[in-house]
Amino acid sequence: MPGLFLLVAATGLGASIAFGPRCARLWLGLTLVGTAAALTAALGVLTGTPEWTWRSGFLVGGEALYFRLDGLSAWFLVLVSVVGGLGAVYSREYWSDAHNPASAPRGRAWWSALVLSMGLVLLCSNGLHFLIAWEIFALAAYFLITLDRAQRAVRTAGWVYLAASHAGTVCLFAFFGLLAAHTGGWELGPLRDPGELKPLFWLALAGFGVKAGLFPLHIWLPSAHANAPSHVSAIMSGVAIKMGIYGIIRFSGWLPVPATAGWVVMGLGAVSAVLGIAFALAQNDLKRLLAYCSVENIGIILVGLGAALLGRAQGNAAWGRLALAGALLHVWNHGAFKSLLFFGAGSVVQATGTREMSRLGGLWRALPWTTALFALGVLAVCGLPPLNGFVSEWLVYLGLFDAATQRAASVWAALPAAILLAMAGAMALAGFAKAAAVVFLGAPRTQAAERAQECGGLMRSPMLVLAGGCVILGLAPMLFWPTLARAVGSWNPNWTAGAAPAPLTALSAAQIAVALLAGGAGVWLWRKVRGNGLRRALTWDCGYAGPTARMQYTSASFAGIVTGWFGWLLQPERQLRRPRGPLPAAASEFVRVPETVLERVLGPVGTCVMRVSETALRLQQGRLQAYILYVLAGLIAMGMLVLLGGQP
Amino acid sequence: MSLRLILDLIARLALWLLLAPLLPGIINKVKAWVAGRRGPPVLQLYYDLARLWQKHAVLSTLASPGFVIGPAVAWVALAGAALLMPLGPAGSALSFRGDMLLLIYLLALARFCTAWAAMETGSAFEGMGAAREVSFAVLAEATLITALLALCVQTESTSLVTMLAPAAGAGAVLLAAGLFTVLLAENCRVPFDDPNTHLELTMIHEAMVLDHSGPPLAVILHGAALKLLLFSLFLTEAVLPLGQLSTLAATGALVGGVLAVTVGVGLVESLLARLAFRRVPLLLTTAFLLCLFALLMAWKGGAE
Repeated sequence: MPGLFLLVAATGLGASIAFGPRCARLWLGLTLVGTAAALTAALGVLTGTPEWTWRSGFLVGGEALYFRLDGLSAWFLVLVSVVGGLGAVYSREYWSDAHNPASAPRGRAWWSALVLSMGLVLLCSNGLHFLIAWEIFALAAYFLITLDRAQRAVRTAGWVYLAASHAGTVCLFAFFGLLAAHTGGWELGPLRDPGELKPLFWLALAGFGVKAGLFPLHIWLPSAHANAPSHVSAIMSGVAIKMGIYGIIRFSGWLPVPATAGWVVMGLGAVSAVLGIAFALAQNDLKRLLAYCSVENIGIILVGLGAALLGRAQGNAAWGRLALAGALLHVWNHGAFKSLLFFGAGSVVQATGTREMSRLGGLWRALPWTTALFALGVLAVCGLPPLNGFVSEWLVYLGLFDAATQRAASVWAALPAAILLAMAGAMALAGFAKAAAVVFLGAPRTQAAERAQECGGLMRSPMLVLAGGCVILGLAPMLFWPTLARAVGSWNPNWTAGAAPAPLTALSAAQIAVALLAGGAGVWLWRKVRGNGLRRALTWDCGYAGPTARMQYTSASFAGIVTGWFGWLLQPERQLRRPRGPLPAAASEFVRVPETVLERVLGPVGTCVMRVSETALRLQQGRLQAYILYVLAGLIAMGMLVLLGGQP
Repeated sequence: MSLRLILDLIARLALWLLLAPLLPGIINKVKAWVAGRRGPPVLQLYYDLARLWQKHAVLSTLASPGFVIGPAVAWVALAGAALLMPLGPAGSALSFRGDMLLLIYLLALARFCTAWAAMETGSAFEGMGAAREVSFAVLAEATLITALLALCVQTESTSLVTMLAPAAGAGAVLLAAGLFTVLLAENCRVPFDDPNTHLELTMIHEAMVLDHSGPPLAVILHGAALKLLLFSLFLTEAVLPLGQLSTLAATGALVGGVLAVTVGVGLVESLLARLAFRRVPLLLTTAFLLCLFALLMAWKGGAE
């Protein structure tokens, strides 16, 4: 049965690639049909249909196609199809033919190609076809990121993405090639016995880690996500980086892993979480902030996965199962709230034409829907109850705390990870309090912010759907537990059984109570204030007569305290013009936080490589005499080598 | 949900709501006593709250409804966190594995809503206060989680009722010192913040609520009192072995402990000056290290 739906999905998406450039309405219809069919198939597998496999009778590239939809791939397929469908609706208004006549048609085709190729990545159970799908996915993402290629920043971001992505793909080529050489075939599946395959895990971690954006392999992520059109940022940040996570989870489930894998994954996760959010906090560009926050969330997912690897290594401990469930649930949760936030950011960009937070402010009056939905997304991304982010972080924490209380050997990973997660959580709160407040609250800082217009229904409805998802996943997590248990079970068959853990039900009750009471109290206090009598006046601000919008706290000053602690890493560039004289004419301070790994580490290394290559280039000046000399010198050198004791 | 549980919750809530505003009164009395003044009545906050609740409110022209809804949600979050807290011999009404994490994150929700409401006005002072609040909370939250980990490892359990029943073991003094520092920071008391200063530039919490008036301000003040009581209770229960005492003795120890903590806050406030802001992270890091050592001692104690 899933096969039929997947066939419909593939046909729909394939046709939408063909029709995309010509007919936008038909494209939207076909894409929605395709993603809905894929969603049905995935939900079917997650709710009880047995795992689906299909092997073709014909060969593609010398290998028979082998598709498999099990709990784990279905879990990710749900995310791909939901965001794929919603983003298509959003893009009809956000990146319409009227505004972008040149790029909108090809954007539609590449969108369908991206969704289709991510679906294929999830389904392919043959290394060769997996790589082909992976490459199509990488290229489709590149063309989507560079839709607005007239801008230099967009082209640069696209190139960095393409280069980083292919560096990762090289690792994956090596991974799948070595795997095929050891097992004698390209087909993939659970392999337990051969211990000599263990080191291959590091190749997979590096290859998929680039795509997932874990620190310090995240270099491509901030600029690509910030410069892409917002619907593309949403699917890149919400879904595409999860393909990297899928790869790591998939192959750590199928292949034997080294004993240290859990420690390394957990360490990388904790570092990504803290440093990712430190970078996010320092950003003044709304979409860059969101992009760095993805690095943090990938870190949280990896901490959960690391704990699961440790738990599995230590006799399938129950806490490992909790942590993996938390990690997988966070994949969905992050997909939902990050797409919501990027859609909200897109609405801000469309309304004001800028992503610079220092040029925004006071947008709540003009964009009430966007403000409310963005605020909900912010509560979710900070992991605050009663929304979904808290549930998955809670599961990961509980796994770590259980590991600590049971005094398992992995306690030395669990304790620091829990403390670092707490720090990352508090920093996320600081970062998003800043982002939401500077963009939406206070007074408009520029005319553009003053003249903003709310987005239309096609952009608002996908946001509403995602916000609804955040609320349902937060209030009723036990509804999703059976599907989650199935995904966990297909990673480690020993963790299949079991009803929802009792604390999850209690947590859900508490979440519902908090949601109801918070809503009720808000309404009640508002009515009380209205009833008592309410007067509007200028912000008091301790007695200013005429406060201006420029006197408001800015995003850089809000983040100043914490970014000061991370100055060693962030290395902010400052341009300060101090006020001079008794009546200063102008003063300014400009702060930019570079992408440290890219600009301070990889940049100089790249420059060095280029210098060395340029020096080597001098040898090649096109004169025949010189080349004859090189050949002669080479022959003499080889002859010396042989004469002086080289064995023939 | 049974009727009994609902009645239990309502009784607890009433107890919390009624008793919480007593603590700031006691602190002020202690401060007045040390300074040789008579000071305001112990029940002053009750009068203030009643008065504010009746007043009309002045809202900034820039403020959205979130300016009023924020304090309400923050208050609900704090009351919810209070209900999760076991009350010594009475135990907890709602207890499950991992409830301490919900408590921490409810405190975070309250912090977010207060900061949000502060930013509504577009005032630089309030932005400054909010920035300080959320930044120092990074260290405070790490310290709290470390303290919780220490208690979890000590008692080998992950729910507040069982974590807080026995004594904190060998690391009790370290834990008490660390938690007391966090209490001062999270409740914006001296040496982190001065609730009585008249210079907005040096404030944290008070700077955030400069523009609030009327019922929202009453809700904020009551929420702050709830938070103070919550932290004093947590500190007392974490350190004292209430679970091993008889009901009467445990109740006495609980009340005595909370009073001692409150008087301690008053004394600290009378005898110390506010720290320079750049020293605040240093003090909080010290608190974190104290809790970390408590965690290591708990680990070592169990291993033997």
